[in-house]
Amino acid sequence: MTRKILLGALGALALTTAAPALAEGTLNVLTWEGYADSSFISKFEEESGCKVNATYVGSNDDFAPKLMSGGGVYDLITPSIDTTKLMIDLDFVEPLDTAKISEWNNIYKKFRDLDGIQKDGEYYGMPYVWGAIAFMYRDDAFTTPPTSIADLWNPALKGKVALWDDKSSIYVAARLNGDMDIYNLTDEQIAAAQKKLLEQKPLIRKYWATAGELVDLYKAGEVVISNTWAGYQSGMLKAEGIKVTEFIPKEGAEGWMDSWMVVKGTPNKECAYKFLNMQLSPLGQCGVANINGYSVADPVSAKACMTPEQFTSLHQDDPAYLDSLMVWQPLGDRFEAYTNAWNAVKAQ
Amino acid sequence: MSHARRNLSGVMVLGIPLLWIALFMLLPYGIIVTFSFWVKKYPTFVPAFQFGNYVTLFTDPQYVLVLLRTLKISVLVSVASLLLAYPFAYWLVFRCRSAKLRTWLYMAVIAPLWVSYLLRAYVWKTILGTEGVLNSFLKSIGLIDEPSSIFLYNQFAMVVTLTYIFIPFMVMPIYTALEKIPANLTEAAADLGMGPWRSFWTVTLPLSAPGIAAGATLTFCLSFGDFIAPFLVGGPDGNLIANVIATQFGAALNWPLGSALAIVMLVVVLTIVSLSDRMERKGATGGI
Repeated sequence: MTRKILLGALGALALTTAAPALAEGTLNVLTWEGYADSSFISKFEEESGCKVNATYVGSNDDFAPKLMSGGGVYDLITPSIDTTKLMIDLDFVEPLDTAKISEWNNIYKKFRDLDGIQKDGEYYGMPYVWGAIAFMYRDDAFTTPPTSIADLWNPALKGKVALWDDKSSIYVAARLNGDMDIYNLTDEQIAAAQKKLLEQKPLIRKYWATAGELVDLYKAGEVVISNTWAGYQSGMLKAEGIKVTEFIPKEGAEGWMDSWMVVKGTPNKECAYKFLNMQLSPLGQCGVANINGYSVADPVSAKACMTPEQFTSLHQDDPAYLDSLMVWQPLGDRFEAYTNAWNAVKAQ
Repeated sequence: MSHARRNLSGVMVLGIPLLWIALFMLLPYGIIVTFSFWVKKYPTFVPAFQFGNYVTLFTDPQYVLVLLRTLKISVLVSVASLLLAYPFAYWLVFRCRSAKLRTWLYMAVIAPLWVSYLLRAYVWKTILGTEGVLNSFLKSIGLIDEPSSIFLYNQFAMVVTLTYIFIPFMVMPIYTALEKIPANLTEAAADLGMGPWRSFWTVTLPLSAPGIAAGATLTFCLSFGDFIAPFLVGGPDGNLIANVIATQFGAALNWPLGSALAIVMLVVVLTIVSLSDRMERKGATGGI
């Protein structure tokens, strides 16, 4: 009797734990907050009959470890353009059948042409949203608005500067050094960037790791200048009544772009493609733009669902702005040199 | 029948813990040791048998620097916890007259353990921040004119937070050790003409040494492996060894180097534990 109960309990446990992976038509997406927001996903669930379970990542570094530790859980992921190539090289994702994505040809050509989402003539990523790694300052802290990366090295701002805890700090310091080919830096240039960051270190209040953390730092009056994911943290701060201004420094800004990728061997391919089509349609494109304040990859859908003001403010009709961004590139085997330099800065 | 059943229960009693140790301790350690000899190769890493990861750890100054910093922070946390916990436990055991008050105060130390670690660490941000509770208090009593930023996002904030979080692990063993000291020993010391200080130094303190050793070991090891405090209240110079390990397994995707670091960390902790174990045993046998 006891044994029966025990076995029954174990069976029930096995069923409940296995259920999400087995249920037909349930998509498990590993993505950024906002990319599967219920404000537009519930409509998709209703219309398609596919259920969506979202797990959120805090950084691009979360994708590989999560997928490496065993498969079969996730169907779709959204790494940024500096991480997409790694997913392809790790053999975690499968080629897309672009014929099944009706809006494919409306995506900005600049994004479709990126190396990071292709291999051997096949596409592995569907461009979704993009933006700049802009810089940001608190209005009440400056009489003359900052215009340069050098303002984050200004000794007068000691203890009031924040910088993203990411290898992109190397890109920032390299540009300040005048090394503009930031994704192909030589060892000497990386060493120079590392030195520059060490010079800046006494001025740093905190290397910020999450969007919420940066917002808290501004809110608590701890920092007055930093880099930021354009549109996102400034929007959150404005909602809190804190006046901040974003700017693109004269040394230029990096651009990022996130793509949807289909995890290799997913049993939910039909739902996955329905989901991809929805995300590129006005429902998905405006859904994410309204939640996160990011620009989107399909200007045709954007035009259909955005007000003219939103369309303009998100630079959807501004190819010059897009061209001015240094869009992230996969670093390949140079990746280690960059991360090692950044880790060395943090270790000091 | 009953013999067989006794055998079976014997197997269950011993077998399950052994299986648990093998499955959840020895096997994972074995995997980490194996990884530590592998080698990083884009996009991930490949099997190998070489000591390159260990060589990197001891030749690239960034790792030694972080290791030394982690040791420093852990020692400071242990010492701060001891200085606060010992007088408190001593007062509870020997000076507090009301048994009820004693229970209440003891529980007050233990109770925070039921509250989420993250929450408790987070609270220190609101206390130590530039516009935090401490600054507004200092301003209100006129000690400072401008809010100061020296309390948060540095090593001081990490030591304060970790001490606060781990101090119950210092109070508990010291309290237990002090409670076990028979009252007649200090009375005998007083009868033989010892002053209270001498009797404390020669009787009470040595007899409570095992409690101190246990508390110091716990607080040291817990701080040594911490990576939340640097993240929440630490500043640009606050990276600890566990943060570096997390980076190696995440951002750098260099599991071999991360594993080698974990092994070094394990060796340090095991050394501390065995030293303290020896000290405790010495205290237990040599004391009385």
